[in-house]
Formats: sequence, structure tokens, C-alpha cells
Amino acid sequence: MKYISAKLPVAGFALLLTLLAGCSLDLPNPNAAPEEDALNSREGLLGLSVGLRQVYSTQALEPIILTTGTTAREVKGITTFFNITELEQGGLQLSPNNANMSALFARNYRVIRTADQLIGAAPVVLADAPTRSGVLAHAYLFKAAALAGVALGFEQGPLTAADGTPAYVPRQQLLAEGIRLLDLAVQELAANPPSSEFNTTVLGTNFSLLNTVQAYRARLNLRAGNYAAALAAANLVNLTVRSEFAYSAQNPNPVFQFTILAATNFRPRENFGLPASLVEAGDGRLAFFLSGPVVRNTENGSTDNIRSLAGFFGTVSTPIPAYQPDEIRLIRAEANLRAATPDVAAALVDINAVRTQASGDLFGVHANLPAYSGPLTTEALLLEVYKQRSAELFLSGQRLEDSRRFGRPTPPASPTERNRNFYPYPQQERVNNPNTPADPTI
Amino acid sequence: MPQPYSFARLTLLLGWILCCLLGAAGLAQAQSSKQPYTLRGRVQDAAGEGLPGASVRILNTVLGTASGSDGTFELSAGLSPGSYTLEVSSVGYRPQRQALTLGTETSVTVSPVSLTEDLVRLNDVVVTGTSVATSKRQLGNTIATVQAADLLTAVPTQIDQALQGKFSGVQITQNSGNPAGGISVRLRGPSTVAGSSEPLYIIDGVLVNNDSPQLLDLGGSAQNRLVDISPNDIERIEVIKGAAAAAIYGSRASNGVVQIFTKRGRDGVPQITVSSQFLVSQLRKKLDYNQYPFRFLNTNSADLTQEPVERYDYQEQIFRIAIGTDNYVSLSGGNGGTKYFASGNYFRNQGIVDNSEFNRGGGRVRVQQTLGSKASLSAGAAYTLSQSRDVPNGGISEAYGALTGFIFSNNDINPAPDPVTGRYPSTARAIARTNPLEAINRFDFRQRTSRFIGDVQLNLTPFDGFTVDYVLGYDASTQLGTGFIPVGSTAPTYTAGYARRADRTTLLTNNDLTLSYRRDFLPWLASTTTAGGTLQSLQALGTNSSSISLSPVVQISGNGNGTTVGGENRSERTISGAFVQQTIGLGNRLFLTGAVRVDEGSIYGANNRRQTYYKAGASYVVSDEGFWRESALSRILPQVKLRASYGQAGNLTAIDPYGRFTNFDPVVAGAVPGLLANTLRGNPDLGPERQEEFEAGVDLSMLNDRLGFEFSYYDKQVNDLILRRDLNFSSGFSFQFANVGQLTNRGVELLVRAVPVQAPAVRWTVTGTFTTNRNKIISIPNGLVTFPDGFGLVAAVEGQPLGTYYGTYSARNPDGSLLLTPAGLPQRERGVQTTPANGTPQRGADGQPSGALLNGVVGNPNPRYIASLINEVALLDNRLMLRVQFDTQQDFDVFNFTKRVGTRDIFGGLAGYEAELRGEVAKGSSTAAYNTFEKWVEDGSFVKLREASLSFLVKPKAMGLRDLRLSVAGRNLLVFTDYTGYDPEVNAAGQSNAVRGFDFVEVPIPRSVSVGFNATF
Repeated sequence: MKYISAKLPVAGFALLLTLLAGCSLDLPNPNAAPEEDALNSREGLLGLSVGLRQVYSTQALEPIILTTGTTAREVKGITTFFNITELEQGGLQLSPNNANMSALFARNYRVIRTADQLIGAAPVVLADAPTRSGVLAHAYLFKAAALAGVALGFEQGPLTAADGTPAYVPRQQLLAEGIRLLDLAVQELAANPPSSEFNTTVLGTNFSLLNTVQAYRARLNLRAGNYAAALAAANLVNLTVRSEFAYSAQNPNPVFQFTILAATNFRPRENFGLPASLVEAGDGRLAFFLSGPVVRNTENGSTDNIRSLAGFFGTVSTPIPAYQPDEIRLIRAEANLRAATPDVAAALVDINAVRTQASGDLFGVHANLPAYSGPLTTEALLLEVYKQRSAELFLSGQRLEDSRRFGRPTPPASPTERNRNFYPYPQQERVNNPNTPADPTI
Repeated sequence: MPQPYSFARLTLLLGWILCCLLGAAGLAQAQSSKQPYTLRGRVQDAAGEGLPGASVRILNTVLGTASGSDGTFELSAGLSPGSYTLEVSSVGYRPQRQALTLGTETSVTVSPVSLTEDLVRLNDVVVTGTSVATSKRQLGNTIATVQAADLLTAVPTQIDQALQGKFSGVQITQNSGNPAGGISVRLRGPSTVAGSSEPLYIIDGVLVNNDSPQLLDLGGSAQNRLVDISPNDIERIEVIKGAAAAAIYGSRASNGVVQIFTKRGRDGVPQITVSSQFLVSQLRKKLDYNQYPFRFLNTNSADLTQEPVERYDYQEQIFRIAIGTDNYVSLSGGNGGTKYFASGNYFRNQGIVDNSEFNRGGGRVRVQQTLGSKASLSAGAAYTLSQSRDVPNGGISEAYGALTGFIFSNNDINPAPDPVTGRYPSTARAIARTNPLEAINRFDFRQRTSRFIGDVQLNLTPFDGFTVDYVLGYDASTQLGTGFIPVGSTAPTYTAGYARRADRTTLLTNNDLTLSYRRDFLPWLASTTTAGGTLQSLQALGTNSSSISLSPVVQISGNGNGTTVGGENRSERTISGAFVQQTIGLGNRLFLTGAVRVDEGSIYGANNRRQTYYKAGASYVVSDEGFWRESALSRILPQVKLRASYGQAGNLTAIDPYGRFTNFDPVVAGAVPGLLANTLRGNPDLGPERQEEFEAGVDLSMLNDRLGFEFSYYDKQVNDLILRRDLNFSSGFSFQFANVGQLTNRGVELLVRAVPVQAPAVRWTVTGTFTTNRNKIISIPNGLVTFPDGFGLVAAVEGQPLGTYYGTYSARNPDGSLLLTPAGLPQRERGVQTTPANGTPQRGADGQPSGALLNGVVGNPNPRYIASLINEVALLDNRLMLRVQFDTQQDFDVFNFTKRVGTRDIFGGLAGYEAELRGEVAKGSSTAAYNTFEKWVEDGSFVKLREASLSFLVKPKAMGLRDLRLSVAGRNLLVFTDYTGYDPEVNAAGQSNAVRGFDFVEVPIPRSVSVGFNATF
């Protein structure tokens, strides 16, 4: 007994010392990287550049494609979750706290914040020009894409994702800022071609930074109405280079997630949701994008014929093109038609290249239609461009903008092709930022 | 960063003190000449009946024991000859002290000690909140106690059943009727919004894990780890409701403290207890299902064509009569300074949903060794293996549950599998949901928890009045969940199969050193000084792996089976703290207590890490004043105590351990790895929530101590309330935790104990509790926070209680009638939303609602009051006991999501849809009502016959049996309520802090009956 009690103090003391060793109050998070490391180190910035493309290609692209695609009738919201019902019914039914609509705003600003951080940190942290130029051009590209994403759904938006309460500018300025950034990206890439380190650790395979920058320059200039600049940029895109967003089980194809799975919220409408006059029966793109039988769906207040989705959304890891070569052809055609002196002949060449393509498309999208045989008026050809864009660029997040640009029927009088022009600003933005403008009527 | 080191130094210092004291104790022992005395005696009640379980201690030593089932005790004591004081105490009785002189005779017979009953329990000795055993008369706050004897007849099989209805100020909700269904305990209302309001649980000094991790998505419900504790081992439970007493527990105690003491060995011949229960449970109430033999061909409101169908009652095949057993054996005894207790238990219970089951097996050992009369060492170890087979239900995030499938089904489809292919048909036409029978018969979801809880406690009494207690607590558990949905099922999203395995290993340790010195400086001036330090660490490591698109039959996740996604999460928290508490007793009537505690936790940034909490309390036993005792008042009110206290406490649970950082999470773009900032923005200035509470009350007895009251009023305020506030999306983030809000709980509690009849043959006791609590949250940024686990329909709204239901409501005419659409259907109100809670309705030129859809508060899940009434009648000299307990909760709302879904046309499995089929209301009415959330909020007020039990004690003279108690007990036998769902008490969001009363096809609490015996040898 005495023996034991003599040993006890020693044992007790040893125990306390052991326990003290594991008792620090400054515990780092093993599950994530802290801001200091992410923004102040080379590895951090390269990693964050990957994150930037990831958040755009999954988080932002989902509402860019599906939210605006529902409004522009490409897909139908078929479940009874109230956000889906509201979005599908559109018009005044769409409330400012609709999650799908809010995502279009919020996720693009998440992209913009990340891009802003990279644009700010790269010149400080990255001493070598080839890696810095890659990081900067990549950040310019996605900030421009996200600004265009905001302009897709909203009349106004802030230019940067800033602390406090950022001021709003009209969407034309958002597009102009996007174009300015893309111009900067071109300059960076021309001055210092990106290092192989950048290409390997950030871009990976099948993503062509320079071509995507030029393609988005063409796209944004077209939307902004700068047709000459759009044409010039389109002509700088190498149409034989494939550039796409890659997905995997860890970062699933966002459209697959919400349109293919059994409990899906969205299903594509028959005929791309277009009026019958704008669809040709033999169009090979119908079979490319749509599969399965035609199903009559009466959910959410309307009766529609819906189908199943294929195309770029068939599996969890199916890549989505960053742009399609035929989009560039159609941009050229449209820019030629809308030029001060329209070049109908040049436009017709590009239109027919898209219409009659039967093989060889980088992404396998073949219309396989006869050459254009309608009237050779600017007006008729522009309608043909809209028709081709609607089919070729189905679910690429362009239909709502196109529907407005091509002067398609407007809601509320005619909600058949789009049921909103622009969205109300998200409730969460309005209550936290007094600069939020008034909501559009429709 | 000097803080960690200063605490390290403090602990080092404490360690040294401990060592010196241990040495001193050993030395003191070495110097004296000890004799091995054996004390024998008997503890009895006023009627002379033996009183079991009474604590017998020799003051100023560590020596003590407890009385046996017949009231006798035996205490081995190595003491020097001399004079000592024996203290005998028992919950519900006044403690008794008796002088004891030890001489040459080593076998000492102590004269019988009679304890008199103390209905107000003013003199109960408690430990919680005071660290050292203290009589309740000294405390400025309430502490409630339940002891094993109170649990003897009703034989609870889970801890919550042992607690339910026994205390005032405590709301206990069984969130699910699954056999391992989680429980939520609220002491004086919720005290946080972002975190958990569950109290701190301490078992034998070990701060134990009561997490509710959702390793598998079972539709919202989750086990909480209290399920690992067998109620058979409980000796006593103490509950501190307020911050006042909890101040000495510091940063983890803002939700109150529940301290559980398990049984211990006692000197004397070995005693063996064997008990066994057999349980039967069944569904208490079935939902009325759609029996109309026709269905509409489509949802076109103009087309009323119907076709004949056969309707099925799926509930018949989902629910079953469930059985279970609870077996327990314990062995205890001791002599020569060694006491031991060992027990083993095995509990197995089926769920009322077919194929669900829970079993728990385990053992517990405690050995106490006195090292001379001045030191004692106690070590306890408990191991539990809990296993469950779960059937997913509910549908908060995943939708593959059985009852989820049931409620979304069109019940005109025969759910039976195809006789040829064996495939189950999809029973829901409108939406992809699981065939409920397939979920039950083919899905395989299991959880297994292996848990060890151990403690080492060293108690020293180096010299008169001075005690040193050191506790090392250790709680290590590994919970493992596996889920399997086979290939070719009707499960949405997982038709190609789903396999998941997730595990979580937790390790909690606590080291507490407490020094206490008591001294009566003058006959009328007593002082108790207590100082202590603590070091605590909480670690959790989790991994998970999920696979989809499986190979047939194979159940594992990974290893080539399907497409696999894995994950891991690690978290760690450390807390260190120290406190000093001083109590002064004046004339054994007025007691003043003050305490200060300093705490540091790793969760908050260096600037806000160190927190200081104060407490003060006063207790005045006015009935012990001379003027009172001499006046007539003493006959009317023999015992009166006034008390008041103030205390502060903190909360470390509101955010996760790394919630103050802007975290850059790993992501993959294609196959390229990268980083991405979370949508939750960090806040380096975040500090813990701080709670202040004032309580005041009175304890009194009347009518010759036959009627006792405990009344308290409390006012609890949480400042710096952490809310996950929304950020403007244009910041690039969505949320941020910030100390912005304020929360208050105000209420009164009343506990009444009465003995209307007390005769030698009959004794009737009545215990009633009444609690009312008003919860309110203010300073919410922009007035509203919604919670995703309530589908965004549950919110904290400025000026309202936590968890109000928030959503759209019906458009109404000025006279209150429904404003219908031109088509004659009800519709939602529109207008201008002025505040989150208020909107101004607007009418267009056509008189129809115009503007934005309006949202408002449409219900409140917090009851206006809760109350319990327990009647206990003992006949035949306490041998026949009849116990009946009613519980009620009044004026609270339940969100009946189950009815909302089952009544809608495209699903339509409930009777509520029949009116539309019969043509009594316009076709399309149910669709119009579907998103008018106000319509689905119902009053949940209920009165439940929670327990009814009968036990009979026989004393057979056979097989060495001392006692044999036979019992029959029923739980939830009757419920009186207007609520139309299964049960107003369940919650599909499990142990969610904010989302309460959310009825979305969670398994209802069954009605159960048990028969069994408890025998001691």
C-alpha cells in the first residue's frame, strides 16, 4: 500500500505532462488551406487558378445554362420544389429569393471575387513572367465570362466583387469591362506565352487559353454590339483546336446533375423549345442533344412535350465545350450581316458550313441539313442565324441573350420563347446592399 | 501568444501541488497507527423500513459506502482510534450525522440511523456546479435530482425516458420513433442559433460526447451518442439548468449541465442483481389513407374523367409489432478498502418500421481503493457496442426513405414486387421516389458504435476540511455507418446502386483538478473555498466513401465497385480553464457564493480567446431563523428557502472549430487539383457567445412537510449571439458568422411534490412540474435567418422565438374569408414585403392579389408551457407500486409536411385528397394549397400518458434471492391531441437546434409495453 502511494505522485505528474503536450490553442485547419497560404504563395495562386476554372465551369455554368435555359424555354422545370415551379412559371411568379435565379448572380460574383484576388496577387507573388501572364490571362478570361454571366440575367451589376456595398453599373458596362479584360488577356499572352508549369498545373489537357480568350472576345463583342471587333476576334480563333471544361465524379458536369438523374429538376423540351417554324425535321442536332421518347408533361401549370437530355451532358464526366467552332462561324455570319455594310455572301458561307456539316465537327455536332435556300435578305438570314444558334448552341447559356438580341416575342404578352426579359435582383443582395437597383417589371 | 503557455504553467503548478499533497497524504498515513475497523449498521426511514442506497461517510476521510437493499451497511475503515462523525444521506431525506468513537474493538456496530423525509429536498447533497458535495440548502440556484429508485418501476431503456417529465424547466423531445432515435434536451429554452442547445453531459466526471453525426443520410434523423448509455447503471442524475451554477464549467455549459452518476460498489457481501425486460411496441396511430376507388386521368382542371382503381394501405406493410429485450446483470461488493462494481447489459429492440433494429451490449466496471484513510483512488471503465439496422425515412436532403416513398406514392399502385422478375414497381407516378417496401426489404443501412468511457479519480483529504480531487476522463468512440442500395432499385438518383461507408472516431479527454477547503471559523461563520483547473481536448476524425453505379450484389464502396467519391474531415478543439469559488455560510442559514472562471478555447481568435465568467448566488433558509421557528409560521411552513443567483457562461458550439477562418477548400477541375475559397467568409474577430442569467426562487414545504414547492423565475440573455448572417452576393461570399444577435429566455418553473396519503399500508405521492419559457431573438441582421434543414421554411425572425415557421400564406378578404382566384381556387397573398415578418397585401384592378408573394411567420414550435403530473401509489409496505405519468405540451405548432404532400393530387395517398376526387372541392384545390405554407401548420398541443407502470416486490426465501421485483410498464399508451399527423413530438430534422416540430414522415414514437423482473441475490 505504501509502495503504491509513494509511486502515485510520480505517476500523476507524468500523466499531466503527457496531457499538456497535446494542448495548444492555435490549431490550424487540416481540412482546408488558410487565406495566407492561398494568396501569398506560388502553389496557392496556381491552385486558386484551378479553383477559378472549377467554380466557373461547375457552379457558375449551372445557372448560366439551366436557369436562363428554363426562362428561355430550352428546358422545363418538372419538379414541384417551389423554386423550380417559380422559375418554370416565370413572369411575376418568380420571387426575388428564388434560389436558381439567385445562383446566377451569386456564383458569378464568387468567380469574380476569386479572379480579382488572383489579379491582385499574381504581380506580387509570381516573379516569373511566363507563369504570371498565364495566371493573369486565365483570371481575366473567367472574370470576363462571369461578368457576361451576370449581364445575361440582370440589367445591372457591380464591376468587382468588393467588400462593403459595391455600386452597380448597367450591363453594357459589365460587357465592356469583360471585353477590356479579354483584351488585356490577349496582350499578356502575346507578351509572355504561359510557362509549361502553368499549362500543366493549371490548364491540364484540352483547354486552350488563347483560343478561348479570343472566342469569348468574339462572344462578348457580339453581345455588346461591337460587330467589327467580334468579327476580328472570331477570325483569330483556331477552329481546329478543342477547348473544353473537364468534369469528373468529384466535380460533376453540372447540367448532368440536374437534368439526367432520375429525380431531375429539368428536362429538355422537344425541338429545343423552339416554335415549330424554327425547327427542321431532319436536323441531326435533335438526335445529338435529345434522346428518349417524347413525354407529355403537365407539371407546373403547362403541358409540354419533354424528352431526355444527351449531348454534352450525358454522363457525370462528359466535357462541356468552352466554345464550339460553329459558334465562331455563326458569330462571323451574324457580324457580317449586322455590319454597317452587310456581307451576305460571307455570312451565307458560314451559315451553310454549319447547316451542311455532316462530319468532322470537333464535338460531333452535325446538322447534316441541306444548304440554306431561303431568301437572301439580311432579315431572313439573321433569323436563320438565330435558328442555327438555337440548335447548334443548345443549352450553352446563350438562348436568353439571343432571344433578346434577335427581338423574339416578349413576355408577358408572349411568354412562349422566354418568360422573363431580366430577373429581379436577389433578395439577399437587396437587403445587404442598398445600391441594388429597382427590379425590372419583367 | 503567451496564453497557451500561461495555462501550461498553471497546470504545471497544479500538478506540483497535487504531487506534494499526495506525498503529504502518504506521509500522514505512514505516521499514524491504523486499526482495521469494520462498521456495521442500518439506515432506516421514519417508519423503520430499511432504506437502500443511502450514502454513509466518515467525515474528513475518504471512507464511505452505501446501504444495501435492506438498508444495512458495512464499512471497512483503516483508522486510528479516536472520535469521528458519521454522515448518512440519501436523496429526498434529511442527512443525519452521528458521533462515532473508535476504540480497541475493531468490529463496531453503529446504532440504527433514521432519516426523515425531506419533500422539498432542501438538504439533498449535490455535486454538480459545486465540484464538492454540497447541501442544496447552500445553493442560490436550483439543481434537480433523479435517483435510481425513481426509475425502478418504469424501467426506462433509454436515457431520455429516464429524464422525461421528472424535472421542471426541461423539455425533452424524442425526435424519432426509431429504436435508436435521437433526443433533444432543452434546459430553459434554446441558447444559441448557429450551434447546439444540448446540455453538457458529464458521466462520473467524464465530459462525454453527445454528438449526433449523420454518417448516413437516413432522411434527417440521427442517433445521438447518449444512446450508448444503459439506464440500468444510473445511480443518480443531477441537472443544472442555468448559467448561474454552470459558471464553473465555463465555455461549454451555457446550455446547462446534466451529470450522471453510475452505481458503485459497497462494502459487504457480494450482491448480484439480475433484471430482464420484454418489450412490445407498435404504431400508435395510422394516418387515414385515401380509399376512394377512382382516380383522375390527368391534372387538367377542366377534365373530370376518372377511372376505377384499387387503393392500398401501405402502412399495413411498413409497420409491424416490434419486440425487444433488455437484460442486465450486476455484481457489487467490497471489503478491506476495496470496493467493486461490475455490470453487463444487452438491450435489443426492434423498430416499428419493419427490419429496423437496435441493440446495445456493454459492460461497466468500477474499482475503488482507499489508500489509508486520507486517499482513495477510483477507476471506472465502460465499454459499449451499439448496433443498429436502419431503414431510411424522412426526406430532408435525400429522398430514398421508406416513409418518404410512402407519402409520395399514388396508393393505387400495388407495391408488391413483380412475381416474375422480383423487381419492385415504382409507386410514385409524379416524381421518382422509392417503393417503401423495397426500401425496407432491399436497402441495408447499418450503424455500429464502439465506445469506451473511462475515468481515474483521485480523492485526498490531507487534513481536516481540505479535499483534493483529480479526475481524468476519457471518452473514445468509433461510429461506423454503412449503407447499401442494390442495383435496379426504385431509389431516386441511385437506381444504379449506392454504397456508402462512413466512420467517425472521436476522442474526448478532460483533466480536472479541484482543491477545496472548508472551515467553520466561528460557530456561525463557515467558509468553503474551491479552486480548480481543467484541460480539455476534443478530437474527431471522420472518413467516408460513397459509390454509385455499382456492380450487382457487391455491397462495399470502392475497390472497383462503381464510381467512388471519398472524403475526410478532421477537427480538434482544446479548452483550458481555471476557477475559484468562495462560499460563506452565516449561521447555517444564509449562504453567499461568488466565483470567477477564466477560459480559453482554440475555436476563437487570439483576441477573443480568453473569457472571464462570474457568478454570484445567495441562499437564505429563512425557516431556520429563530423568530420563524418560534412563531406559528414554522407549523404552516416548516421549511422555507429563498434563493437568487446570477451567472455567466459561454458557448463554444456555435461554430465549428475552424469557422472563424476563410477556408480555401480543395477542388478538382477535371483531373487538375486546386483551391477555392468557401462561400462562408471568415471572421477573425469572432468571439464566443456570452450568456448572463439571473434566477430567483423559493423552496418551501407546507402541511407538516407533506406538500413541497420549488418555484423559480429566470431571465437568461445571450449577448454576442453568433448568427450566420447573409452577405450581399456581390461580395463574392454568401455568409459570415458574426456576433450580432441577442437572444433571451424568460420563464418560470414550478415543481410540486405532495404526499396526500401517508399511512403504513398506503402511500400516495404526487409530483407535478410546470414550465413556461419565452424565447426571443433580436438584432438579427436584416431581420431573418432561415435554416436549410427546414427547407428554408424555418427561420429566426427578428423579435420572434427561434425556429418559427416562415413562408407564404393565404390571400384573404377583409372579413377573413379566403380570396379565391377567378377559377375558385385558394391562392397565396401578394403585395409588398415591408419586413421579413410583415407584408402589406396589395390588390390589382381585378381585386386579385398583386405584387410579390408575401412571406410571414406562420407558426411557432415552442410550447407556451409544458407540464407533467406523476402519481405514485405504494401499497402493502411499498411492495406494490403503481405509477402514472402524464406529460403535456400546450400551444405549439407542428409543420405537417407529411399531410402537405399526401394530400396533393399528384401524390394523393392520404384521405385529405378524397374531397377533390369526390368533387366536394374544385379539382386543383390541393395543388393551389400546396405552396401556401400556412395551411400546413397545425396546433400540436397534446397530453400523453407517458408512463404507466405497476411493480410488485416479493421477498422469496429461495435460491438466495433477497428481492424480486416484477413490473409491467407502458409508455405513450394514450395521446390526447387534435394534431392530425402521426405524432406531434417527432422532428424530421433530427437533433437540429433551430428546426423543431418538422413532421416530414419521421417514424412516430411507438406505444410500448414492457414486462420484466429485477432480482437481487
